[in-house]
Amino acid sequence: MKKAVIVFILAALVLVTTGVWFFTASDDLTSFDLVDFGIIILVVGFAVFFGFKKLSSVKKGEPAEDELSRKIMLKTAALSYYISLYVWLLVMYFSDKTRFESHTLIAAGMLGMAVVFALCWLFFNFRGIRNE
Amino acid sequence: MNNRIKEFRARHDLTQDELARKVNVRRETIVFLEKNKYNPSLKLAYDIAKTFGTTIEEIFIFDS
Repeated sequence: MKKAVIVFILAALVLVTTGVWFFTASDDLTSFDLVDFGIIILVVGFAVFFGFKKLSSVKKGEPAEDELSRKIMLKTAALSYYISLYVWLLVMYFSDKTRFESHTLIAAGMLGMAVVFALCWLFFNFRGIRNE
Repeated sequence: MNNRIKEFRARHDLTQDELARKVNVRRETIVFLEKNKYNPSLKLAYDIAKTFGTTIEEIFIFDS
């Protein structure tokens, strides 16, 4: 329960900071800045989603985490880490072929990691974990 | 591995929510178990069997 509340507070702080940044720099925003905003929204979105899931479980009198949710998270982390290595390889390849600034490439890599994590989580939630 | 959790749950007139609370897991875990999408730990298998007043072998069917 405490963990979920901390996640919500952190998410709110990040959103407020992002909002301040967005409104103070709204005149000089480039399309690459929008990618940065996309990453922030995606990461905060994950945190809020998992926080809500945990809170609703606690409200129903169930544990916030159990052996299945921990196993899914573990498998998701392992698979998404493995795939992320290839994402970064792709980013390195494009860094030679394009003229993007390094921080834009790093932002693209992070966005890729976040998307891969979400897809892996969905994959294990639909497929389940059998005979392992 | 197959299981007869749904059958035993109906026999004991328990909902997925009630069974989940009795064995201290989330309802999703019971859904996954009934769909054979998850093989439980030995502890969870034992807790489920104990809730239904039977043995693990009666509920979980191991096919080689």
